[in-house]
Order: sequence, then C-alpha cells, then structure tokens
Amino acid sequence: MKKGLFGSVMTSVLAASMLAGCSSAAAPAATAAAASVDSKSASEYDTCTIRFDWWGGDTRHAATQKAVDAFMKKYPGITVEVNFGAWTDWETARALEYQSGTGSDLTQINYSWISDYDADGNTFLDLNTESSIIDLTQYDSTLLKTCEDSKGQLAGIPLAVTGRTFYWNKTTFTKAGISTPTSLDELLAAGKTFKEKLGDDYYPLELGEYDRMLLVSFYLQAQTGEPIIDASGKLTVTQDQLKDGLDFIQKLEDNHVIPTLATIAGDGNVTLNENPKFIDGHYAGVFEWDSAPAKYIKNLGEGQELVVGGELKGLGDKATGVSDKVSMLFAITKTSEHPHEAAMLLNYLVNDEEGVTILGSERGIPSSKAAYDILDKAGKIDKTVAAAHKAVMDADPMSFSPLFDNAKLKGTSAAYTTIFDAVSYGKQSTEEGAKALYQAYMEVCKN
Amino acid sequence: MSKFKKFAKNNIGFFFCLPWLIGFLVFKLYPFCSSLFYSFTDYNLFKGMTQFTLKNYINVFANDTERTALLVTFKYAFMTVPLKLVFALFIAYILNFKIKGVNFFRTAYYIPSILGGSVAIAVLWKALFKDDGVIHTLFALFGASSPSFLSDPGWALFIICLLRVWQFGSAMVIFLAALKGVPNDLYEAASIDGAGKWKQFFSITVPLITPVIFYNLVTQLVQAFQEFNGPFIITQGGPLNSTTLMSLLIYNNAFKIYDMGKASAQAWVLFVILMIFTLIAFWSQKHWVYYQDEGR
Repeated sequence: MKKGLFGSVMTSVLAASMLAGCSSAAAPAATAAAASVDSKSASEYDTCTIRFDWWGGDTRHAATQKAVDAFMKKYPGITVEVNFGAWTDWETARALEYQSGTGSDLTQINYSWISDYDADGNTFLDLNTESSIIDLTQYDSTLLKTCEDSKGQLAGIPLAVTGRTFYWNKTTFTKAGISTPTSLDELLAAGKTFKEKLGDDYYPLELGEYDRMLLVSFYLQAQTGEPIIDASGKLTVTQDQLKDGLDFIQKLEDNHVIPTLATIAGDGNVTLNENPKFIDGHYAGVFEWDSAPAKYIKNLGEGQELVVGGELKGLGDKATGVSDKVSMLFAITKTSEHPHEAAMLLNYLVNDEEGVTILGSERGIPSSKAAYDILDKAGKIDKTVAAAHKAVMDADPMSFSPLFDNAKLKGTSAAYTTIFDAVSYGKQSTEEGAKALYQAYMEVCKN
Repeated sequence: MSKFKKFAKNNIGFFFCLPWLIGFLVFKLYPFCSSLFYSFTDYNLFKGMTQFTLKNYINVFANDTERTALLVTFKYAFMTVPLKLVFALFIAYILNFKIKGVNFFRTAYYIPSILGGSVAIAVLWKALFKDDGVIHTLFALFGASSPSFLSDPGWALFIICLLRVWQFGSAMVIFLAALKGVPNDLYEAASIDGAGKWKQFFSITVPLITPVIFYNLVTQLVQAFQEFNGPFIITQGGPLNSTTLMSLLIYNNAFKIYDMGKASAQAWVLFVILMIFTLIAFWSQKHWVYYQDEGR
C-alpha cells in the first residue's frame, strides 16, 4: 500500500510536469506597470535599489559609472547597482533576463530588441507613462515613433542615431606612401600598394562577416537607391544582386584590400580593437559605427593615428548607399518595481546637464536637443565622433531595418557567418552563397 | 501512538531523502520531461508554441548543419577518448615505478585536469595556437612553418581535442590506483617464466585493470559528447562549422535563435546516441572486462 501511494505520487508529479509545458504564452508573468502617467515629480522618490545595465568599451564603462555615482550623490536614497560588459554574448544574457522577468530596471537595448523581445509590448515599459520625469520634448517626434513597439508604446529613448563609416590608420597609409582612400577605386589601389610596399600581412581594411554584409548592403543600396530591406520588411534585392554583392567582397579579398576570413580566424577570433594586428597598424582600416571609434583610438599603438575617412564614393550611381539607425536606447523593463526612480536615472543620463556632461559622446552624438546643446557649449562633443557622424549624415542615409540583425542572419553559426565563411574559404561560389543568402532572407523578411 | 506518528516512524527514510528528491524532481526530472515535450513542438522562447511537429527530429538527420554537427561530435569523441585513455594509462604505468621525484610528476600531470575546464585555459589555448602565438613562434625557431591551427578546418578540431587530451590527469590517477592493486607476485612469477615487460603489461596488467579501463571509457565518452567550453571559446564553432559540436549547436539554437523546440530535440537525440554507445560499452564488457570476483 505504501509502495502504491509512493508510486501514485511519483506518477502524478510526472504527469503534472508534462502538462506544465502546455502553456503557449511566451512572456513571463510580468507585473503590469501602471497604465496611467506617473504623477510623482523628480523630487519625490522612494529609497530603493535599482539595477542598470549596458554594454560598451572601457571608456564608456568608466564614463557611465562616473555618471551613476554622480546620480546617487544627487539623489541620496537611490542606490544603483550596475552591470556592464562587452558586446560579445551580451544580448544572449539580457534576452533570457527579459524572458524570465529578471531584467534590470534600466537597461540599454539595441534597436532590433524592440521587435525581437518586445513584440507583444510586455517587456519594456511605455515611457509615455514616465513623461513627467523624462523630457520627451527634447526628441524629434518622428524619431520617437521609430522606437515604438507593436502596440504603439514608446519602448525606449533613442540615445543617438548612428551609421557605419570608415576610419583609417593614417600612420600606416603614410608609411605606404599614399593618402587615405576616399573612393572605391582608391581603396582597391591601396590594397596593391600595401602588398608591394609594406608586405603580405598589411591590409588597408579588416572586415568580419557582419561587416562584409553591411558593406554589401551599402554597395547594393548605392546601386538600387533603396534600402536593402524596406520599411515594410521586404527584401528589395534579387538573388543576382546579392551575387553581385558577394562578388564585390571577393574582389576586395582578391585585391588584397581585406584579409581572408581564414586569416582573421588565425588571429584568434578576437575583436578588431583587441587584435594585435590592428593595434600595431597591420590592419589599417575599420568599418565601424560613428558612435564607437573611442575603443579603437584608445587601443591603437603608440604613434598611430586613426582618422575619420567618411563614406566611400563610387559604390554606385543612385545613392551613397549609407544607412543609419537608432544606435541604442535606454528602456525600463515592465517588471521594474521602481519605474519612477529608473526614469529619474534615465532622464539624468540623457537630459540632465551634469549627467550629460559626464557621459559626453560615449554613445554617439546625442539625439536629445538639450544634451546636444549642453555638450556643444561645453566643447565636449568628441571631435572624431562628431566628424564621423557628420560624414554619415552628409551621405543622406537610408533607413536600416531591424530585420537585418535578425538572429537567424546575424551571429555565430547564423547565415551571414556561415555563408561569408564558405565563400571566403572557397567552399562555395558566390552564386551558391547568394542563393543561400537569399533563402536566409526569405525566412526572415516579409516578402 | 497516533496514526501520524506511526506513519512518520515507518517512513522516516523517505523524509530523509525528501530534500534530494525535491531537488531531483525540480532540477532534473521536470526539465527532462519538459524538454521532451518541447521537442515535439515549435516552441520559441519569445513567440510561444503554435503546433506539435516531428520536424525537429527529422531535421536532425535531414538538415546539413545538424548532420555535420553530429559527425563532428563523433569525430571529436572518437579522437579524444582513445588518445586520452592511452596517454593516461601510459603515464600512470611509468609513474607506478619507484622513480625519483615521482610525487612531483604525479602532481604536475594532475594539475591540467583541475585547471583545464576553465574559461581562462581555453583563452590561453587560443593564444597558444593562433597564427602569431607561442606554438607558431616555436616552429619558427626551428626554421619550420606551422599550419594555421585555428583557421584550418582540419587542424581546428584537433586543437580542441588536444585541450581535452591534455587534461588526462584525472583518468591517470584512477589508472594509477588500479595499477597499485595488481599483485606483485604475478609479475615475479611472469619474470621467472621469462616474460618481458611488454608481455607482462599486456598479459597481466591490462587484463587486471580492465574494469577501470571500462569505467574511464564510459565516463570519458560521456564527457566528450558533452564538450562545450573549448569549441565555444576557442573557435566559436568555426572555421566552416568544423568545430560545431552538437552541444554548441544546441546552445546556439536555444539561446541565440531561442528555438527551444529544435534545441530540445537535438538534446534528446544526443542523449539517445550517448545512451546507445554506453549500452554497447556495457554489453561488450562481458567480452573484454575481467572481474576478479566473477572468476573471469
């Protein structure tokens, strides 16, 4: 009888555990944030501890920590626990936190995370409810519209608008006896010169798999005059055009402009700013966001100088090909127990004179008019970031779809990596690569 | 005595087991059963579940990426396990002799198995074998050119294997204990009969330690199939998916694409395959494992 009772209990538990997986709801049981606008002022706050996370390089970490310390001094009673790290695998950890309802109160998010993790509007707080704390009037309304989720809720505050541009190690180019390239033809010629004058292990530019796909998108956008993925989520290029793009990248490799992906793998799969070949000038060019040159400048070896190259002319006839996007946002998770205090920290970092001055342009040229004026008057807008941003904006950029960064396309073992690897290693022709790439886009885009 | 007191007295053992039982149910059995359920669905962590499907299991064998990962996992396991056991037994045999400094050598050979599983060692391994790393420099010192270990698909998997083989210390210690259990009079008798060292090793030592060889074989096989750190940190599954083991593929599907259904199916396939190999090992032991108490 006892054995029977024990056996029945175990059977029941097993059955219950099977049924426990039946829920089709993906979102955690997020506590519903107040639907109405927060009526407390910034001077009224609870003594509490809030958590804040962000990714970035060392300079961003230092500046942000300094700003957080100043915030805590200004608002005694609010303790801010910080969590920061590099970009690699950052998203994986944060996504699981959002899903499990354990995300930080204030969190730095990527543009694509709104559609990836807040599709049902249950992950990030509607910041319109904190409009009494966060000065939303400092932002362009069109820009704020792009930061809404599917329910029309303001999921995050845009920190900056960014696009990719080129940066050149002027020291290495001078060593090679040429000036930094301004056009595609000059870049191709630089590859030949580098090989002849400096040696086989010097390259004008280094491009990883994702960088290559971005450059392909610029190349194709310059030919077509349209974003590669339009605002409705449709792919606007054909498989043949994708082949043309892959041929373009292959041409860069064949002309010694960029190292092969095998060479980059042999470097130890380190990020470019930490790669000794970049630090000592062997890799003399970077294709990076206009908001992120600081980590490269900081790591560059002594006597090396990184300058903004701007956009490359000659990619196509119809447009410059450049696209831009909201670089990153600050969001408050819906499970935050202290959204008012989190909103206070958010506003401090993006609109408050003290916070903005400390942060500077570590996250790019600020989208907030107040922040921009503060930094401009104080002369604290980093000259390199400003020049890079100007280069992007002057190129009349197109919109950048968050679908471009879909997890099935971007990331280790995702389409961009496997396809560009296969083509660079010679395991696939550009035609086969284009077919695979087109199929990958068809799985993600809304065609 | 009240009914409850009587019940408690008769079931006191069950109550002592209860903490472990709760842990087992919550942290082992429930995830086990849930993953089996999810493996038959298209469950996505952020999009939920919409249908039941067998596609996840079919794709493990039909899809190129998953088939390749299975193949790579087999290659890795059947390269690492024999190499590790051979090295471990060989070094244990040498360290069984009374040589000067034997204790120092036993410690030195054991240290990698303590450090080896750490992220820091994987990062160090990457630094050793990259194109301008220490190994490349050593080759250059002798005037030879080294292969590109991390970018050559053929070499990359071998480097991952080498990391695990380097950690043979734990298997070595177990072999050493087994070797110490072999009676010396058997060797003396064999010497008197004219048997040389090799003959003694294969005719006396190996048969008597087969139970330990079997134990090490099974534990190392399980470990090899579950390898993750090395490929994740050193090569991130590349180049060309040549080091994408099943465990890494499961991780990518579960935590990058959030396709829990697919990842669960892959995990169950790996479990079943490992179970089959373990059962084969157990079945085969009657042919080559000699237990002294069974008179074999």
